[in-house]
Amino acid sequence: MKSRFLFPYWCRYLGWGLVIAHVPVTMIARNQGLNVDSPLVNNGLFTGGHLFFISTALLMSLGLFLVAFAKEKIEDEQIWQIRLDSLRWAIYINYIVLITSLVFINDTGHILELNLCVPLLFFIIRFRWVIFRLNRSLSREG
Amino acid sequence: MKNNIRVERAIKNITQGELAEIVGVSRQTINSIESNKYVPSTVLALKMARVFGKPLEEIFTLEEGD
Repeated sequence: MKSRFLFPYWCRYLGWGLVIAHVPVTMIARNQGLNVDSPLVNNGLFTGGHLFFISTALLMSLGLFLVAFAKEKIEDEQIWQIRLDSLRWAIYINYIVLITSLVFINDTGHILELNLCVPLLFFIIRFRWVIFRLNRSLSREG
Repeated sequence: MKNNIRVERAIKNITQGELAEIVGVSRQTINSIESNKYVPSTVLALKMARVFGKPLEEIFTLEEGD
């Protein structure tokens, strides 16, 4: 089965690496007292805060992106269906979260941040969960 | 939709893994098709029918409500 617009299999590990790498970077940034949340408003382009913002937000979202859209070892039509289904659920959840937070929270910066990772995160969790369940039923069959 | 892939596999004496490899899908997919959790595409169904050397209707049959 042709699978265009997907990253190679190894990108998954690269993606997890980036996601894990962003944790210490963020912690360092917060310890240094840098404003990682909205650096552009306060500082301008390519200042310390902005660079940290790039390295944290981008590292994480790029990592999640690579994990979410890396190929599976065997790409077949069932995987495609699961992927599509999970994407649909991710969009549903994202919009529920987005609309609820727009109505109840007056903090667009954090809503944007949430919006950056919720769909990808939920997609990855749902996708892997379904594949995990498939594998489990496989091992039960023997 | 019902199917008798499990029976056909037993007749031909091949495992889920071997069938999966021949038709180019994962073992999970064959397993979900056999347990009626996943309906294969026409292409995949035709490929499997070719492996067993039988027409499609002998392997896949419609159920009430399909």
